[in-house]
Amino acid sequence: MIINDLENLAKKYRREIFEKFLKTKQGHPGSIFSMMEIVVSLYYGGFIRFDKNKKNFSDKILISKGHATSAIYPILKDFGVINKKDWDKWGESKSSLRIFGNISIPGVDITSGSLGHCIGSGAGMAVSYKNNNQNKKVYVIISEGELYEGSTWEALLFAKHKNLDNLTIIIDINSLIILGKTSDCLNLDPIKDKISGLGIETHEVDGHNIDSLVNILKVTDESKNFSCILANTIKGKGSSVMENKKNWHYWNPMTKNEIKITRDELK
Amino acid sequence: MTLQRDIFIKEITKKMENDKKIYFLSADFGAAALDELRAKFPKNFIHCGISEQAMLDIATGLALEKNKVFVYAMAPFLSLRAIEQVKCGPGLMNLPICMISVGIGLGYADAGPTHYANEDFSCFRSIVGSSIFTPSDNQTTKLIAKDMLTKPKFSYVRLDRDKQYDLQPKVNNTDYRNGFKIFGKIVENKIAVISHGKIFHDCIQALKQKKNKYIFINLFRSKPFPSNLVKSVKKIKNFLVVDEQTPSGNLSSCVFEGFRDKNFFPKIISKSLPERYFFENGGREYLLNKFGLSKKDILKATKDF
Repeated sequence: MIINDLENLAKKYRREIFEKFLKTKQGHPGSIFSMMEIVVSLYYGGFIRFDKNKKNFSDKILISKGHATSAIYPILKDFGVINKKDWDKWGESKSSLRIFGNISIPGVDITSGSLGHCIGSGAGMAVSYKNNNQNKKVYVIISEGELYEGSTWEALLFAKHKNLDNLTIIIDINSLIILGKTSDCLNLDPIKDKISGLGIETHEVDGHNIDSLVNILKVTDESKNFSCILANTIKGKGSSVMENKKNWHYWNPMTKNEIKITRDELK
Repeated sequence: MTLQRDIFIKEITKKMENDKKIYFLSADFGAAALDELRAKFPKNFIHCGISEQAMLDIATGLALEKNKVFVYAMAPFLSLRAIEQVKCGPGLMNLPICMISVGIGLGYADAGPTHYANEDFSCFRSIVGSSIFTPSDNQTTKLIAKDMLTKPKFSYVRLDRDKQYDLQPKVNNTDYRNGFKIFGKIVENKIAVISHGKIFHDCIQALKQKKNKYIFINLFRSKPFPSNLVKSVKKIKNFLVVDEQTPSGNLSSCVFEGFRDKNFFPKIISKSLPERYFFENGGREYLLNKFGLSKKDILKATKDF
């Protein structure tokens, strides 16, 4: 697919998920919208390989920020992995889809929600693939806030020591956590220095620029090193009602006017 | 006598010869037998650093790829430090990770309270889907290891730091399937003493003078609670339950709940450590004596029936 198509896909998925938010009245729009171009690049940029006959993916994507796993539901629906009935009934008890991802949902590779677990789990998978000479890759998307979890750094040390070049970590840096800016709450900067200081191959990219994302993912794919991508993003990207507003970590009731504005902006 | 940990690890090492899906993860915790395993299978031995939390996450990733995963660390750290990882990994995803926990109870005397595992049993009882084993001897330890290698399951295996005496008669395959072994003939007016691990031997020692008054139940698998234990002991009216844990959620709680589920309500007396931390030096036996778990204390407790 060409880059323009992927940009349009990201918009389409934001629109689809926004309509689901209106229906379910719960979820984490800020965190989902900030990573939409990242997941679109992974699934449609040729990084997560899909077997059409088996209807499954050979590569893994672990969404450590489990509150945003639903960002991939519309993608999985379009691949035919999540069935239309489950998608249509999302928000009802009969649908397998949940706010947080879990392995009972087709195409979701890990149960997540508690932060700081998936770099370790991804590293375990990557070790298994390497030892068994399996040509498979693992992509782990973590939130910037997960850098507060000690287990994140434990696992980064491990992955670096093992030089797991089949594991790529993507950090969605939208600069906001529930109570405010990370820089105000408990400063994480300079993130790049801290991660590259561990000796990890570290790249920085505009997390909403699909061209840049695809290019950097190609670099990390070809790299012989364990690598980390710092994706600078905007929380609530695409909706002026939500963008860069900490209270849009969670869904909030919207006025009719706000709904109209958001629908217009997501076109 | 061989240490329980060496028995367990030797069984794993033997199986690794023909099974490349077995992984052994350590959070910088050793054993004599581990040196051989590390040397022979460097790809399948993973040193995770002194990082119990990451170790459990790494184990989760390996188990999701259908590997047989054993994690190994000192009991207080494996149990409490990583318990949320245990819940979210093998717990929530029902993954067959076997956790080998060494140094339960006051095993690490005189290291001090950070190194004692006097609450690991109650913590793991609360994790949904886990099996809990506390062997008192090497034979049972070997049977557990073989079982976990043949039919891997989410399990927490509590091993003692010290060498353990053999049990006679030995725990056989039928006993293993049951999850317990009864020593002595069941007679209505006897007192049944239920225990596990090292302290089970202390119970036998404490009561050996009048052993015909007692039966001894080695409850080496406390979770799932053995379904046919009540059927075997329903004649007995008095039970003394002994373990090296603090009171909340200890073995007597486990036994009471297991009995209650079968509508069996005998008198149960609990002997365990008091609700406090232990800063005193003097060794394990000294601490057990000082805090009410000496052999004399166990004998004295039987007078309360």
